[in-house]
This record gives sequence, structure tokens and C-alpha cells, in this order.
Amino acid sequence: MNSVWSRLRFVLRFFRRELVSGELNLLALAIVVAVAAVTSVAFFADRVERGLRQEATRLLAADLVLSSDKPLRERYGADISKAGFDIADTISFPSMVFSRESAQLSAIKVVSTGYPLRGNVEILQNGKVVSGRLTPQEGTVWLDERLLARLNVKVGDVVRIGNAEFRIAAQLIREPDGAVDVYNFVPRVMFHHSDLARTALVQEGSRLRYRLLIAGESRRLERLQKTLETQLQRGDKIERVEDARPEVRVALERAQRFLGLTALLAVALAAVAMALACRRYLARHYAPVATLRCLGATQNEILFLFSGQFIVLTLVAGGVGCVVAWLTQEILLLPFASLLGTQLPPAGWMPWVSGLSTGMLLLLGFAIPPLLQLRQAPTLRVLREDIQPQRAGILAYAAGATALFALMLWQAGDVKVASLVAGGFLAFIAVSAALAWVMLGIARRLTRHGSAMSWHYGIAQATRRPSLTLLQIVALSSGIMALLVLMVVRGDLLDAWQRNLPPDAPNRFVINIQQKQLDPVADAFVNQGLPVPDFAPMIRGRLLAINGKPVRPQEYRDERTQRLAEREFNLSWNDTLPKGNRLVAGTWWEPGASAQFSMERDIAERLGIKLGDELKYEIAGTEYQAPVTSIREVDWDSFRVNFFAIASPALLQDRPASYITSFHLPEDREDAVTALVQAFPNLTIIDVSAILAEVRSMVDKLVLAIQFVFGFSLLAGVLVLWAAIHTTRDERAFDAAVLRTLGASRQQLIKMHRSELIALGVAAGGLAALGASALSIGVATWLLDLPVSFNPMLFPLGIAIGVFATWAAGMPAVRHIAKVSPLAALRQFS
Amino acid sequence: MQAVDVVKHVQHAGSSLSILQGVNLTLYPGETVAIVGASGSGKSTLLGLLAGLDHPSGGQIALFGKPLGPLDEDARARLRHQFVGFVFQSFQLMPALTALENVMLPLELAGDPEAESQAKAMLERVGLSQRLDHLPKYLSGGEQQRVALARAFVASPKLLFADEPTGNLDAATGAQIISLMFQLNRAQGTTLVLVTHDSALASRCDRAFHLTGGKLVELSRE
Repeated sequence: MNSVWSRLRFVLRFFRRELVSGELNLLALAIVVAVAAVTSVAFFADRVERGLRQEATRLLAADLVLSSDKPLRERYGADISKAGFDIADTISFPSMVFSRESAQLSAIKVVSTGYPLRGNVEILQNGKVVSGRLTPQEGTVWLDERLLARLNVKVGDVVRIGNAEFRIAAQLIREPDGAVDVYNFVPRVMFHHSDLARTALVQEGSRLRYRLLIAGESRRLERLQKTLETQLQRGDKIERVEDARPEVRVALERAQRFLGLTALLAVALAAVAMALACRRYLARHYAPVATLRCLGATQNEILFLFSGQFIVLTLVAGGVGCVVAWLTQEILLLPFASLLGTQLPPAGWMPWVSGLSTGMLLLLGFAIPPLLQLRQAPTLRVLREDIQPQRAGILAYAAGATALFALMLWQAGDVKVASLVAGGFLAFIAVSAALAWVMLGIARRLTRHGSAMSWHYGIAQATRRPSLTLLQIVALSSGIMALLVLMVVRGDLLDAWQRNLPPDAPNRFVINIQQKQLDPVADAFVNQGLPVPDFAPMIRGRLLAINGKPVRPQEYRDERTQRLAEREFNLSWNDTLPKGNRLVAGTWWEPGASAQFSMERDIAERLGIKLGDELKYEIAGTEYQAPVTSIREVDWDSFRVNFFAIASPALLQDRPASYITSFHLPEDREDAVTALVQAFPNLTIIDVSAILAEVRSMVDKLVLAIQFVFGFSLLAGVLVLWAAIHTTRDERAFDAAVLRTLGASRQQLIKMHRSELIALGVAAGGLAALGASALSIGVATWLLDLPVSFNPMLFPLGIAIGVFATWAAGMPAVRHIAKVSPLAALRQFS
Repeated sequence: MQAVDVVKHVQHAGSSLSILQGVNLTLYPGETVAIVGASGSGKSTLLGLLAGLDHPSGGQIALFGKPLGPLDEDARARLRHQFVGFVFQSFQLMPALTALENVMLPLELAGDPEAESQAKAMLERVGLSQRLDHLPKYLSGGEQQRVALARAFVASPKLLFADEPTGNLDAATGAQIISLMFQLNRAQGTTLVLVTHDSALASRCDRAFHLTGGKLVELSRE
């Protein structure tokens, strides 16, 4: 025990000395960057998870919730309350809310007495915050702060929703299930169930979401849930605490996975820096270890000394990395603030553990294997300096690769994704190394003779150790490329997409138009001096069967198709092929043709529908069957009204339908919208540009978060560069010494190294610009179908970043080398 | 070149170690001088000081009438590429540069536009015209030292320092290098300072000195 303690003390003393001497700086920095990158994402994930979990029980406002697009109380309410459970219900839907001068799309929640069964509603009434089981009184309404501001009204004023007028009784601060609805960025309104009829908003085609809230003793609740599961009809589903806010959870999980993999780029680069730093460290300690062995140290004692030291280093540097991550985590959460609403609880201790484990794993993969070699340093080395350490064996590379892959697996949570990412990394490295190699070859040829001496010396120096130079270029360029993609390419693509939209592309959708309103609404457009748009009938129906085979959502593999199969479709009927639609198979029906369907290509492929298939839809209890006679391709970017499924008039024209349209509202004609909804209060007008702006601002914040993580990559790339320069510092010092004896001035030495650094920076930046351009053109051509966009600014920008980075990383070392006394350097090597 | 009362101490672990104690040496144009001594006697230190690679702790050194004391490192570097050439025991070629580029280096440092043609001519004189584009690692030891000689003589130095130039070569190759060096030396009228522990080699020089106990003693000729 005593001996272990004394050895440990020796390790710590040794560590302190090495730390002070600066031998461990680079290794420590690489660990800090790797751990900070991974841990900032871990903090983010942990807090989001905690936030969701903490909210979950309150999210439902009940213990169990039934949800459906059809009324529930009539079907289940009586049985459930007879069984002794408390029930309440809510109905949510989007609608316009009017003040005297303006109208605003809002998320309406209609609540019954008894709401909420769990958690509290919080309102601001008479300047006081009131909290509890509260519902608005009949004839009154609660508005949230955003809506009060946007409508320019205050408590006590009157607003209109549909056909009914309401007095604003309070400001709605928070309701337990407030964030369940999809319309998160739409302002919120709450009124009592008894007022719903007055508004006359429940009409054909209204998008209502009914929820039946249930609360009771937990064991009986489980039994109830089992019974209900057997009784559920299509479109009904049970919402449990754990699947509250599935869309938010999925979005956040994806974001977390993406950020995690992004962080891995930084980790991979930092690992390279670590490996280089280790190499130099061990090379410098080869002789001392041989001496230690001469003095009788066993291999294990040497291993203990150095691995103990590395472990202490990893704990210290990893801790610093965690602290950096902890300080910067808020930036990652920024884009999700609006999605998560409330303040997130602070992170727990898991990210600290995962951060330190990352550091340890990297250490195990990249530092320990070369250490195993070190302990074998032959004692003969003391006598013969020319004995060099053996080159790193397969074992060392395999250990590093395994460690990195383990990290990828951990972040991706899936072997397939991890393999894909690893493959992508490798392909990227291979291609960029090959390109860099070609660039260097050309540069060497160009500068061989006749060019300025500092250049040909610099380039020659860069080609002296090709693998090391390629490593530097690739590492730096991947960091720069990541930044370029986010800084320039993203904006370019968004702009290109927006430019590609016709200037008169529709920017408003109108839904809920009733059949009898078609002519008056058309007249209203004429009165406002706007062209009358096409109105398309919209009928909600559910796909029951394809060729007589029932459609079962769970049989589809991907989530989106499952949801499509589960959800009600918006069906339409039409005589003619709508604008922006193109037939890709079959023929369009003649006027007066028999009942048939035309399907959009993508959804047909997803659901496995082919030309000639018989589809059976259920619309409000009636079943409709017809064959598919055409497949269409739809230009979704046009912002016109489009449908997945269109029927011939023969099938559906006799059914009651609500109508939908889209139109282009000129910028200064907001008044036309106000007039339109004041005349037809049941219409819901959706401002597409506002939604786009919202999405864009969210994308911007998301990009900020990703950029931040990529920032770690750039930093790690610079570390690789720094490590490489340090690895070659001894030979550079030697070269510098020889040059000095030949009469080179300090300035000439600096110039030569500067040329080399500039060459590296230009190569890395140019390569990054090339990669970013290729990516931009690829995405534009294949993914977005936009005219190829190429931004010439990428090259100067990439090269500027590259040169700046190499400069920053290299110049301090170069200045140091240029100061070396020629004699001292010569003695060290001769 | 004149050295007067040159003293060199090295600080090591708090105590001062005296390597040179009052060395005096005057070199005359065109002569060849050998400095012999046991290893660790301070030969290389003296060479470094004479060439202005390092500062003496005391005394004066002047190169071509210019005292080195007041000059900074860059001024001394200028002086070197104007007047001084070097040949080292371990050749000290730039590993990244080809033979030709290595020989061009001193001329390029001086900004000579004729660097390439002069370097080629010099490599031809040392018999390496077929090896111009080879990197040092593809040359034999003897070839490397010939490149080093070409590099040393290409700028027509007035003063050439050679530090154990045959130390890393076998006897036969060493002899070839030495005769090549003396041949070039005669042709260019260079002053040659040769550090060696080979007394046979020392005896081929005009004068020979023995460095011992930090003092330089001229060896009398029989």
C-alpha cells in the first residue's frame, strides 16, 4: 500500500514537472477541445431530456388522455365517469381572432368545467397571478400576452371569434397542456365549452382535435387503458405521459444526434492532434526511459509512471473541457427555446461523466498504445543514440480507429448510422488527401527553380513529410469547410430557393370556406381589387383499404408513412388537372367520367399504391371506392393548394365540403385580409410568409448551434496543425541552424516558414472551398432542384480563413525557431 | 580573422564551467590551419565563436577587420554569407532540398540571380552533375559530403570552417573528400580552418594548433 502511495506521489510530482515544462500542453489542449465538443452536446441533451421529463406529467393535464379528430365524450364519456374516473374535455383548433381593427390567426382551446384534471392553469387577473383549476366563465375569453399585443387589446376589451363576441377576462400565462398543440408559435386563446356553438366554427372540414382528459387511481387506470385499447376506433388514440409531444421529442432527438455527430468531427481531429502530440512526447522521452531502465526500472513501473501521468492529465484537461462545455451549453439550446417554452432545469452529473469518459477513451485509443512501445525502450539506447523507437504498429492504429468508432456508435446510437458516418469520414479524408497531394505536387513543380527562394524552400519543406502535410491540410480543411457550408452555402441555397419562387407566388392560404360562401367570397376579392383565386373543395377522409387489403399504419416501415396512413387525408375533387400538377402515369378523366382517383406520386410510392389499384376511403361514416387512374407529380414549392388524392367529381361532388384557396397578397394590402375576415369570420387565413420567417429564424438559430459545434472542429484542425508543426520543431530548428550558418538572416528564415504556412493555408482553404462548392452544387441540383449556384466568394474566404489559421498556429513556433542559436542547434544534432 | 583573449564560460546547474580560457589566434589570407584536440576539449565551441555563431564570454573576435561583438545575429549572418563557408561532420544538408537546391541555397540567400547556373557548375566540379535532382537521402555519405563541399565553396568564401569533415566517412572516401577540399581551397585561395582529431590530416595544413585545457597551443613543425 505504502509503495503504491509513494509511486503515486512520484507520478504526481513527475506530472507537475512535465506540466510546468510545457511538454504536455498540446496533449492537454487536444483533450480539452475533444471533451468540450462532446460534452456541450451532452449537456444540451441532458437538459432537454430533463425538461421533457419534468414537463411530461403536467403536459397532459390528466393521467390519461384520449385524443381524436372526432368528438369523444359522446362515445366514451358516460362509461368512463360511471367507472368512477374524473373526466374533462378540450377541443383545439386554429382560427382567426378579431379586435376592432385587426385579425390574428390563433390557437383556440375550448375547455370544459373541471379542466385541468392535473396541474394548474395560471392567469393574470386584476394585476395578480392566479393559479389553480380554472376555466373561463361563459362569454369570456383568456388571451395570451402575444395575442393581446398583436391585436392591440387589453383585459376588459371585446374580441370576436367566429360569430361570437367575448370579453377578455384575463391574460393567460400558462396551462398544463399548453404546448401539446402543433401550432406552437401561434398565440393562444382559451374559452369555455358552452360558448363553442355560438362561434359557429364547428363546420365541415374544420380541423378540430378533441381530447378527453381522464384522472383516477393508477391501478384502475391501467385496467381502463387496457379496456379502452380494445375499443378504440380509427383516428382515436391514447396519449400517455411518455409520448407527450412526440414531434418535439423526435425533433430534439434528431438535433441531438446531429450535433453529436458534428461534435465527432472535432473529436476525430482532436484525436489526430493527440496522436501527434503523443508521438512527439514519447520520442522526446525515449532516451530518459532507456536511462530509467538502465537504472533498474521494470517495464511495468515505466508503464505505471507514464500512463498514471496521462490519466491525471486526462482528468484535469477533461475537467477543463467539461467546464468549457458547461459555460457554453446555452448557445446550443437557443434554437429550441421557443419549442421548449419554459426554463429548462439545470443539467445533472451525467454529461460530466460522459465528457471524462470520452477523454479516457481517446487516451486509451491514441496515447496508451504508443506508451506500450515506450516501455520497451532498449537499454542500449543510453549508449547508442541512433536507436530509434519502432514505428507505430497495426495495434496503435487499430486502437485509435476502435476508439473513434466506439464514440461514433455512442453518438449515433445505431451501427448503421455510425458506419455510414465513419465511411463518410474515410471517403472525405481519402478524397481530400488525394486532392491535396495533387496540389502539393503542382506547387513543388512550379517552385522548383527560378521562383523566389522563400517559396521554393517553403514548398519543399511542406513536401518533405507528405503524410504529415496531408494530415494538416485535411484536418484544417474539414474544419474550414464545415464553417463555409454554414456561413455561405446555407444562405446561398435559401436565397436561391426564394429567388426561384415567382414574385406572385401565393403567400396566404384561406381555409374553412363554406360552399354557400363561395360566391360572396369571390365578390369580396373583386371588391378588394384582388384577382379571384381558384377554390378547391376539401373533404377529410381516411384511407381504409388498398385493393381490399386493410391499411394498417404499423405495417409501414418509416415513421412518416405510418403517420400518413393513420391520419385523415384531405381529399378533393376536380374536373381538370390543377395548375402545377403533371401526370406521370395514366390519363386524366374526361368531364362526366365515372368515379376514380388520381394520386400524388410520392405518397403513392410511400403507401404502395399503383395505377389500377382500388382505393377505399371512409368519409364521415360512408365508404367510397374507386380505382386509381392516374399518378401526378406536384410542384409543392409553388405554394398553390395541392392534394395528395383527387377524385373525379362523380365520386365526391355531392358531399358537403369546405373550400380552400391560396392567393398572393401584395405587401401593403393587409387591409384586404382584415376586410375579408371581418365579413366572413369563420375563414382562417394563414400567413405563409410569417411561417416561413418563423422557420427561417429557427433555422438561423439552429445553424448558430451547429456553427458553434463546428467551431470546435476548426479549433481542433488548428490543433492538428500546431501539433504537426511541433512534431517537426526539432528538425526545423536544425534546418534553421544550418541556414543560419550559411548566412540566412532571421527575416529570411521567417519568410521561408511563412511561405510554407501560407502554402498550407491556401491548400486547406482552397480544398475547403472546393468541397463546399461541390456540396452546394450537389444539394442545389439533386436535392432542391434549383439552378446550380456557385459562389466565387467561397475561395477567397476559405483561403483567408486557412491562411489565418495556419498563421496563428504556426508563427509562434516559427518565431521561436528563428531565435534558436545556430550553434546550440547544431550541437544538439551533430 | 583575429581572436584576442577569447574566453567562454557555460552556466550549468548554477555553476560556471570554463571551456575556453584566453584563446588567441590570427589567420592570414589563403593559409590552412588545423585545430586538433581531444573530444570535449572545446574545438566545436571555438569554431562556433570564430564563425560568429555564438558570443564569447570575454575577449574580442574580428572577421575581416570587423569586430563581431557589437553586431547582432542578423548582421553576423550577413557577414557569414559574404565571407564564410562551412563543412560539417554530418554534412547538414537540407533534407527537403535536392542536391542542386542545397548548393543554390547560399547564393539564393545572398539574392544572386545566377544561383542555378553557378550551383550546377560547382556540382560538376565535385563530380555530381548526374545527381542534381536527388534528395540527400538518396545520396551516399561521400556524395553528401561532396554536395556539402560544393555548397561551401559555391559562394567563393574567403574563410572556410570544416568541422571533422571526414568523421562520418570511411577512410578511402574521407581521403577523396580531403583532397577535393584542398584542391578547391587552392583554386579559390580560401583560408581554411580545419577541426580534426586526425594528426595526419593536421600535418597537411600550413599550421596546426592543439586545444587543451581551454588554451590553444601552436604545434611546432619538425
